[in-house]
Amino acid sequence: MRTQDLISLMVAGQRPVDTGWLGRATLAAAGASLAAAFALVVATLGPRPDLLSGGVAQASAMKAAFGGAVAVVALWAFLRSLRPGARAAHHLVWLAVPLVAVGLFAAFDLAQAPAGAWSGIVFGRNWLACLIAVPLYALAPLALLIAVAREGAPLRPRLTGIAAGVAAAGLATVAYSIHCPEDAAPFLATWYPLAMAAMGALGALLVPRFVRW
Amino acid sequence: MAGKNIRFDVGHRVTLDELEAQLRPAFLAGLAGDAAAYRYFLDHVSARLRAYLRQQLARAGRPDPGEAEDVLQETLLALHLSQHTYDPDGPVTAWAHAIARHKAVDHLRRTGRHAGGVPIDDVTHFLAAPEPVSSDARLDLAKAMANTPERTRRLIEQVKMQGYSVAEAARAAGMTETAAKVAIHRGLRMLARALTKAPPR
Repeated sequence: MRTQDLISLMVAGQRPVDTGWLGRATLAAAGASLAAAFALVVATLGPRPDLLSGGVAQASAMKAAFGGAVAVVALWAFLRSLRPGARAAHHLVWLAVPLVAVGLFAAFDLAQAPAGAWSGIVFGRNWLACLIAVPLYALAPLALLIAVAREGAPLRPRLTGIAAGVAAAGLATVAYSIHCPEDAAPFLATWYPLAMAAMGALGALLVPRFVRW
Repeated sequence: MAGKNIRFDVGHRVTLDELEAQLRPAFLAGLAGDAAAYRYFLDHVSARLRAYLRQQLARAGRPDPGEAEDVLQETLLALHLSQHTYDPDGPVTAWAHAIARHKAVDHLRRTGRHAGGVPIDDVTHFLAAPEPVSSDARLDLAKAMANTPERTRRLIEQVKMQGYSVAEAARAAGMTETAAKVAIHRGLRMLARALTKAPPR
Protein backbone atom coordinates (compact mmCIF):
# COMPACT_ATOMS: atom_id res chain seq x y z
CA MET A 1 0.00 0.00 0.00
CA ARG A 2 1.32 3.44 -0.80
CA THR A 3 1.72 5.74 2.14
CA GLN A 4 -0.50 8.28 0.41
CA ASP A 5 -3.28 5.68 0.22
CA LEU A 6 -2.86 4.81 3.88
CA ILE A 7 -3.22 8.49 4.70
CA SER A 8 -6.40 8.70 2.60
CA LEU A 9 -7.83 5.82 4.57
CA MET A 10 -6.98 7.37 7.90
CA VAL A 11 -8.51 10.68 6.87
CA ALA A 12 -11.64 8.92 5.66
CA GLY A 13 -12.02 7.09 8.94
CA GLN A 14 -11.43 10.15 11.10
CA ARG A 15 -14.04 10.92 13.74
CA PRO A 16 -13.86 13.40 16.64
CA VAL A 17 -11.34 12.25 19.29
CA ASP A 18 -11.84 12.49 23.05
CA THR A 19 -8.45 13.26 24.63
CA GLY A 20 -9.97 13.35 28.11
CA TRP A 21 -11.08 9.75 27.98
CA LEU A 22 -7.88 8.26 29.45
CA GLY A 23 -8.08 10.48 32.52
CA ARG A 24 -11.71 9.65 33.12
CA ALA A 25 -11.06 5.95 32.62
CA THR A 26 -8.22 6.02 35.15
CA LEU A 27 -10.41 7.79 37.68
CA ALA A 28 -13.24 5.33 37.07
CA ALA A 29 -10.91 2.34 37.45
CA ALA A 30 -9.54 3.74 40.72
CA GLY A 31 -12.99 4.51 42.09
CA ALA A 32 -14.44 1.18 41.09
CA SER A 33 -11.52 -0.79 42.53
CA LEU A 34 -11.64 1.19 45.79
CA ALA A 35 -15.35 0.45 46.18
CA ALA A 36 -14.82 -3.20 45.31
CA ALA A 37 -11.88 -3.50 47.71
CA PHE A 38 -13.94 -2.00 50.56
CA ALA A 39 -16.77 -4.41 49.82
CA LEU A 40 -14.32 -7.31 49.75
CA VAL A 41 -12.69 -6.35 53.06
CA VAL A 42 -16.11 -6.03 54.71
CA ALA A 43 -17.28 -9.33 53.27
CA THR A 44 -14.15 -11.35 54.06
CA LEU A 45 -12.53 -9.89 57.16
CA GLY A 46 -15.05 -7.38 58.39
CA PRO A 47 -14.19 -4.02 59.93
CA ARG A 48 -12.41 -4.23 63.26
CA PRO A 49 -14.93 -3.97 66.10
CA ASP A 50 -13.21 -1.03 67.82
CA LEU A 51 -12.96 0.97 64.59
CA LEU A 52 -14.88 3.97 65.85
CA SER A 53 -13.20 4.33 69.22
CA GLY A 54 -11.01 7.43 69.47
CA GLY A 55 -7.43 6.31 69.09
CA VAL A 56 -8.25 3.55 66.64
CA ALA A 57 -10.29 5.81 64.38
CA GLN A 58 -7.37 8.19 64.24
CA ALA A 59 -4.87 5.45 63.42
CA SER A 60 -7.13 4.03 60.71
CA ALA A 61 -7.58 7.49 59.23
CA MET A 62 -3.81 7.87 59.07
CA LYS A 63 -3.40 4.51 57.34
CA ALA A 64 -6.09 5.51 54.84
CA ALA A 65 -4.43 8.88 54.30
CA PHE A 66 -1.09 7.20 53.71
CA GLY A 67 -2.58 4.74 51.23
CA GLY A 68 -4.57 7.49 49.58
CA ALA A 69 -1.56 9.76 49.14
CA VAL A 70 0.47 6.94 47.61
CA ALA A 71 -2.42 6.05 45.31
CA VAL A 72 -2.90 9.63 44.12
CA VAL A 73 0.79 10.12 43.28
CA ALA A 74 1.08 6.74 41.56
CA LEU A 75 -2.17 7.20 39.61
CA TRP A 76 -0.97 10.55 38.30
CA ALA A 77 2.33 9.05 37.18
CA PHE A 78 0.40 6.13 35.65
CA LEU A 79 -1.83 8.42 33.60
CA ARG A 80 1.07 10.54 32.36
CA SER A 81 2.96 7.41 31.38
CA LEU A 82 0.19 6.50 28.93
CA ARG A 83 0.70 9.69 26.90
CA PRO A 84 3.74 9.74 24.57
CA GLY A 85 5.84 12.85 24.97
CA ALA A 86 4.69 13.43 28.57
CA ARG A 87 7.37 12.84 31.17
CA ALA A 88 6.10 10.55 33.88
CA ALA A 89 8.93 9.02 35.90
CA HIS A 90 9.74 12.14 37.84
CA HIS A 91 6.21 12.25 39.28
CA LEU A 92 6.98 9.09 41.27
CA VAL A 93 9.53 11.09 43.27
CA TRP A 94 6.58 12.58 45.15
CA LEU A 95 6.04 9.18 46.74
CA ALA A 96 8.82 10.28 49.07
CA VAL A 97 6.38 12.63 50.81
CA PRO A 98 4.02 10.06 52.37
CA LEU A 99 6.87 7.56 52.80
CA VAL A 100 9.10 10.00 54.65
CA ALA A 101 6.15 11.24 56.74
CA VAL A 102 5.33 7.73 57.91
CA GLY A 103 9.04 7.06 58.39
CA LEU A 104 9.37 10.10 60.66
CA PHE A 105 6.38 9.01 62.76
CA ALA A 106 7.94 5.56 63.02
CA ALA A 107 11.33 6.91 64.06
CA PHE A 108 9.66 9.11 66.67
CA ASP A 109 7.73 6.16 68.10
CA LEU A 110 10.78 3.93 68.22
CA ALA A 111 12.78 6.66 69.95
CA GLN A 112 10.20 6.65 72.75
CA ALA A 113 10.59 2.91 73.38
CA PRO A 114 13.55 0.90 74.73
CA ALA A 115 15.64 -0.68 71.99
CA GLY A 116 14.74 -4.16 73.19
CA ALA A 117 11.08 -3.49 72.42
CA TRP A 118 11.72 -2.36 68.84
CA SER A 119 11.47 -5.71 67.11
CA GLY A 120 8.20 -6.40 68.90
CA ILE A 121 6.79 -3.06 67.73
CA VAL A 122 7.94 -3.47 64.15
CA PHE A 123 6.73 -7.05 63.74
CA GLY A 124 3.55 -6.64 65.77
CA ARG A 125 1.40 -9.68 66.26
CA ASN A 126 0.48 -10.24 62.65
CA TRP A 127 2.96 -8.87 60.14
CA LEU A 128 2.55 -11.73 57.66
CA ALA A 129 -1.22 -11.30 57.51
CA CYS A 130 -0.89 -7.61 56.62
CA LEU A 131 1.91 -8.26 54.15
CA ILE A 132 -0.26 -10.81 52.34
CA ALA A 133 -3.59 -9.03 52.65
CA VAL A 134 -2.65 -5.75 50.95
CA PRO A 135 -1.30 -7.36 47.76
CA LEU A 136 -4.30 -9.70 47.64
CA TYR A 137 -6.77 -6.83 47.79
CA ALA A 138 -4.61 -4.96 45.27
CA LEU A 139 -4.89 -7.61 42.56
CA ALA A 140 -8.26 -6.54 41.19
CA PRO A 141 -7.30 -2.83 41.17
CA LEU A 142 -4.13 -3.74 39.28
CA ALA A 143 -6.13 -5.71 36.73
CA LEU A 144 -8.45 -2.74 36.16
CA LEU A 145 -5.52 -0.36 35.72
CA ILE A 146 -3.88 -2.74 33.24
CA ALA A 147 -7.13 -2.71 31.28
CA VAL A 148 -6.89 1.09 31.11
CA ALA A 149 -3.19 0.92 30.18
CA ARG A 150 -4.07 -1.20 27.15
CA GLU A 151 -5.97 1.80 25.78
CA GLY A 152 -3.02 4.11 26.19
CA ALA A 153 0.36 4.31 24.48
CA PRO A 154 2.95 3.65 27.17
CA LEU A 155 6.50 4.17 25.94
CA ARG A 156 7.98 2.56 29.05
CA PRO A 157 5.69 -0.32 29.97
CA ARG A 158 7.73 -1.25 33.05
CA LEU A 159 7.36 2.24 34.46
CA THR A 160 3.62 2.13 33.75
CA GLY A 161 3.52 -1.23 35.52
CA ILE A 162 5.34 0.07 38.60
CA ALA A 163 2.97 3.02 38.84
CA ALA A 164 -0.07 0.78 38.38
CA GLY A 165 1.12 -1.73 41.00
CA VAL A 166 1.94 0.92 43.59
CA ALA A 167 -1.37 2.68 42.93
CA ALA A 168 -3.24 -0.61 43.35
CA ALA A 169 -1.44 -1.24 46.65
CA GLY A 170 -2.29 2.29 47.80
CA LEU A 171 -5.96 1.73 47.05
CA ALA A 172 -5.88 -1.63 48.82
CA THR A 173 -4.28 0.05 51.83
CA VAL A 174 -7.16 2.49 52.04
CA ALA A 175 -9.71 -0.32 51.98
CA TYR A 176 -7.74 -2.46 54.41
CA SER A 177 -7.43 0.40 56.90
CA ILE A 178 -10.87 -0.44 58.28
CA HIS A 179 -9.65 -3.85 59.37
CA CYS A 180 -5.89 -3.80 60.00
CA PRO A 181 -5.41 -4.57 63.70
CA GLU A 182 -1.96 -2.99 64.01
CA ASP A 183 -1.68 0.72 64.72
CA ALA A 184 1.99 1.28 65.51
CA ALA A 185 3.71 3.62 63.04
CA PRO A 186 6.87 1.47 62.87
CA PHE A 187 4.70 -1.45 61.79
CA LEU A 188 3.00 0.61 59.08
CA ALA A 189 6.26 2.13 57.88
CA THR A 190 7.74 -1.34 57.38
CA TRP A 191 5.09 -3.64 55.93
CA TYR A 192 2.91 -1.37 53.80
CA PRO A 193 5.80 0.02 51.74
CA LEU A 194 7.04 -3.57 51.30
CA ALA A 195 3.63 -4.61 50.00
CA MET A 196 3.60 -1.58 47.69
CA ALA A 197 7.06 -2.43 46.37
CA ALA A 198 5.96 -6.02 45.74
CA MET A 199 2.92 -4.84 43.79
CA GLY A 200 5.11 -2.40 41.86
CA ALA A 201 7.35 -5.30 40.84
CA LEU A 202 4.33 -7.36 39.82
CA GLY A 203 3.01 -4.50 37.73
CA ALA A 204 6.40 -4.10 36.07
CA LEU A 205 6.24 -7.77 35.08
CA LEU A 206 2.65 -7.80 33.85
CA VAL A 207 2.23 -4.55 31.91
CA PRO A 208 4.91 -5.29 29.28
CA ARG A 209 3.25 -8.67 28.74
CA PHE A 210 -0.32 -7.41 28.43
CA VAL A 211 0.11 -4.01 26.83
CA ARG A 212 1.26 -3.90 23.23
CA TRP A 213 0.54 -1.20 20.69
CA MET B 1 0.10 11.40 -7.00
CA ALA B 2 2.02 11.81 -3.81
CA GLY B 3 2.84 15.40 -3.06
CA LYS B 4 0.65 16.86 -5.80
CA ASN B 5 -1.21 19.25 -3.57
CA ILE B 6 1.49 19.74 -0.97
CA ARG B 7 3.85 22.63 -1.16
CA PHE B 8 6.96 22.16 0.89
CA ASP B 9 9.25 25.05 1.55
CA VAL B 10 12.36 22.91 1.67
CA GLY B 11 14.77 25.84 1.42
CA HIS B 12 13.89 27.34 4.76
CA ARG B 13 15.18 25.86 7.97
CA VAL B 14 12.42 25.78 10.54
CA THR B 15 12.71 26.00 14.27
CA LEU B 16 10.84 23.61 16.52
CA ASP B 17 8.44 26.43 17.42
CA GLU B 18 7.69 27.10 13.75
CA LEU B 19 7.08 23.42 13.09
CA GLU B 20 4.84 23.25 16.13
CA ALA B 21 2.97 26.37 14.99
CA GLN B 22 2.44 24.72 11.61
CA LEU B 23 1.28 21.33 12.82
CA ARG B 24 -0.57 21.99 16.06
CA PRO B 25 -3.65 23.90 14.79
CA ALA B 26 -4.11 21.37 12.00
CA PHE B 27 -3.89 18.47 14.41
CA LEU B 28 -6.27 20.03 16.93
CA ALA B 29 -8.79 20.68 14.16
CA GLY B 30 -8.30 17.10 13.02
CA LEU B 31 -9.00 15.87 16.54
CA ALA B 32 -12.28 17.74 16.38
CA GLY B 33 -13.16 15.89 13.16
CA ASP B 34 -11.98 18.29 10.44
CA ALA B 35 -10.91 15.92 7.64
CA ALA B 36 -9.09 18.50 5.53
CA ALA B 37 -7.07 19.71 8.52
CA TYR B 38 -6.24 16.15 9.46
CA ARG B 39 -5.02 15.42 5.93
CA TYR B 40 -2.84 18.54 6.07
CA PHE B 41 -1.38 17.36 9.37
CA LEU B 42 -0.73 13.82 8.12
CA ASP B 43 0.84 14.97 4.85
CA HIS B 44 3.24 17.31 6.58
CA VAL B 45 4.09 15.19 9.60
CA SER B 46 4.73 12.18 7.38
CA ALA B 47 7.23 14.15 5.30
CA ARG B 48 9.07 15.12 8.46
CA LEU B 49 8.87 11.63 9.91
CA ARG B 50 10.08 10.05 6.68
CA ALA B 51 13.26 12.15 6.76
CA TYR B 52 13.68 11.52 10.48
CA LEU B 53 13.22 7.76 10.21
CA ARG B 54 15.54 7.44 7.21
CA GLN B 55 18.16 9.28 9.20
CA GLN B 56 17.67 7.21 12.35
CA LEU B 57 17.64 3.86 10.55
CA ALA B 58 20.70 4.83 8.52
CA ARG B 59 22.54 5.68 11.70
CA ALA B 60 21.61 2.25 13.04
CA GLY B 61 23.13 0.62 9.98
CA ARG B 62 19.91 0.23 7.93
CA PRO B 63 20.05 2.63 5.01
CA ASP B 64 17.22 1.06 2.95
CA PRO B 65 14.53 3.70 2.31
CA GLY B 66 11.97 0.94 1.76
CA GLU B 67 12.54 -0.18 5.32
CA ALA B 68 12.13 3.40 6.54
CA GLU B 69 8.85 3.58 4.63
CA ASP B 70 7.64 0.47 6.48
CA VAL B 71 8.43 2.05 9.83
CA LEU B 72 6.80 5.29 8.65
CA GLN B 73 3.57 3.49 7.81
CA GLU B 74 3.66 1.72 11.17
CA THR B 75 4.25 5.07 12.87
CA LEU B 76 1.45 6.85 11.03
CA LEU B 77 -0.93 4.06 11.97
CA ALA B 78 0.15 4.35 15.59
CA LEU B 79 -0.31 8.13 15.53
CA HIS B 80 -3.76 7.69 14.03
CA LEU B 81 -4.94 4.98 16.42
CA SER B 82 -3.41 6.70 19.51
CA GLN B 83 -4.75 10.19 18.87
CA HIS B 84 -6.63 10.06 22.18
CA THR B 85 -3.33 9.77 24.06
CA TYR B 86 -2.29 13.25 22.99
CA ASP B 87 -2.43 15.84 25.76
CA PRO B 88 -3.82 19.06 24.23
CA ASP B 89 -1.69 21.10 26.63
CA GLY B 90 1.54 19.68 25.27
CA PRO B 91 3.44 20.00 21.98
CA VAL B 92 2.32 17.88 19.03
CA THR B 93 5.91 17.57 17.81
CA ALA B 94 7.02 15.93 21.08
CA TRP B 95 4.08 13.53 20.95
CA ALA B 96 4.67 12.51 17.34
CA HIS B 97 8.44 12.27 17.79
CA ALA B 98 8.06 10.06 20.88
CA ILE B 99 5.83 7.64 18.97
CA ALA B 100 8.10 7.59 15.92
CA ARG B 101 11.14 6.91 18.04
CA HIS B 102 9.33 4.12 19.88
CA LYS B 103 8.33 2.47 16.60
CA ALA B 104 11.86 2.79 15.20
CA VAL B 105 13.35 1.17 18.31
CA ASP B 106 10.71 -1.56 18.24
CA HIS B 107 11.44 -2.24 14.57
CA LEU B 108 15.18 -2.45 15.11
CA ARG B 109 14.71 -4.75 18.06
CA ARG B 110 12.27 -6.99 16.19
CA THR B 111 14.29 -7.28 13.02
CA GLY B 112 17.53 -8.42 14.55
CA ARG B 113 20.81 -7.07 15.71
CA HIS B 114 21.25 -3.34 15.70
CA ALA B 115 24.88 -2.37 15.62
CA GLY B 116 25.92 -0.62 18.80
CA GLY B 117 22.44 0.06 20.14
CA VAL B 118 19.85 2.64 19.21
CA PRO B 119 21.01 6.15 18.42
CA ILE B 120 20.17 8.73 21.06
CA ASP B 121 18.08 11.58 19.76
CA ASP B 122 15.74 14.28 20.88
CA VAL B 123 12.87 16.02 19.21
CA THR B 124 15.13 18.52 17.41
CA HIS B 125 16.14 15.69 15.08
CA PHE B 126 12.73 16.27 13.60
CA LEU B 127 14.05 19.41 12.02
CA ALA B 128 15.88 17.85 9.11
CA ALA B 129 14.45 18.94 5.78
CA PRO B 130 11.15 17.16 5.15
CA GLU B 131 11.06 14.35 2.64
CA PRO B 132 7.73 14.42 0.83
CA VAL B 133 8.59 11.77 -1.76
CA SER B 134 7.82 8.27 -0.60
CA SER B 135 9.67 5.06 -1.32
CA ASP B 136 7.98 1.77 -1.94
CA ALA B 137 7.21 0.11 1.32
CA ARG B 138 8.38 -3.45 1.55
CA LEU B 139 5.47 -4.77 3.60
CA ASP B 140 2.27 -5.34 1.69
CA LEU B 141 -0.32 -3.80 3.95
CA ALA B 142 -3.10 -4.63 1.51
CA LYS B 143 -2.35 -8.30 2.04
CA ALA B 144 -2.49 -7.75 5.78
CA MET B 145 -6.09 -6.65 5.37
CA ALA B 146 -7.06 -9.87 3.61
CA ASN B 147 -8.95 -11.05 6.67
CA THR B 148 -11.33 -8.13 6.80
CA PRO B 149 -14.93 -8.79 5.72
CA GLU B 150 -15.71 -8.37 2.00
CA ARG B 151 -17.89 -5.30 2.55
CA THR B 152 -15.16 -3.53 4.47
CA ARG B 153 -12.54 -4.41 1.90
CA ARG B 154 -14.65 -3.02 -0.94
CA LEU B 155 -15.32 0.14 1.05
CA ILE B 156 -11.62 0.58 1.66
CA GLU B 157 -10.76 -0.04 -1.99
CA GLN B 158 -13.19 2.64 -3.08
CA VAL B 159 -11.88 5.18 -0.64
CA LYS B 160 -8.25 4.36 -1.19
CA MET B 161 -7.99 3.63 -4.91
CA GLN B 162 -10.92 5.28 -6.55
CA GLY B 163 -10.79 8.47 -4.53
CA TYR B 164 -14.38 8.21 -3.33
CA SER B 165 -15.20 10.40 -0.41
CA VAL B 166 -16.21 8.41 2.60
CA ALA B 167 -19.79 9.67 2.20
CA GLU B 168 -19.94 8.36 -1.40
CA ALA B 169 -18.32 5.05 -0.52
CA ALA B 170 -20.72 4.62 2.39
CA ARG B 171 -23.69 5.25 0.10
CA ALA B 172 -22.36 2.78 -2.43
CA ALA B 173 -22.00 0.14 0.28
CA GLY B 174 -25.44 0.86 1.67
CA MET B 175 -24.03 2.01 5.00
CA THR B 176 -24.34 5.19 6.98
CA GLU B 177 -21.25 7.37 6.97
CA THR B 178 -20.67 6.62 10.65
CA ALA B 179 -20.87 2.88 10.04
CA ALA B 180 -18.37 3.25 7.21
CA LYS B 181 -15.97 5.12 9.45
CA VAL B 182 -16.28 2.46 12.13
CA ALA B 183 -15.55 -0.22 9.52
CA ILE B 184 -12.48 1.66 8.30
CA HIS B 185 -11.33 2.10 11.90
CA ARG B 186 -11.62 -1.63 12.53
CA GLY B 187 -9.72 -2.35 9.33
CA LEU B 188 -6.92 -0.01 10.40
CA ARG B 189 -6.74 -1.64 13.84
CA MET B 190 -6.44 -5.03 12.16
CA LEU B 191 -3.65 -3.62 10.02
CA ALA B 192 -1.79 -2.33 13.07
CA ARG B 193 -2.08 -5.72 14.77
CA ALA B 194 -0.81 -7.46 11.66
CA LEU B 195 2.19 -5.12 11.55
CA THR B 196 3.29 -5.93 15.08
CA LYS B 197 3.20 -9.60 14.20
CA ALA B 198 4.78 -9.28 10.73
CA PRO B 199 7.96 -11.29 10.27
CA PRO B 200 11.05 -9.27 9.41
CA ARG B 201 11.81 -8.85 5.71
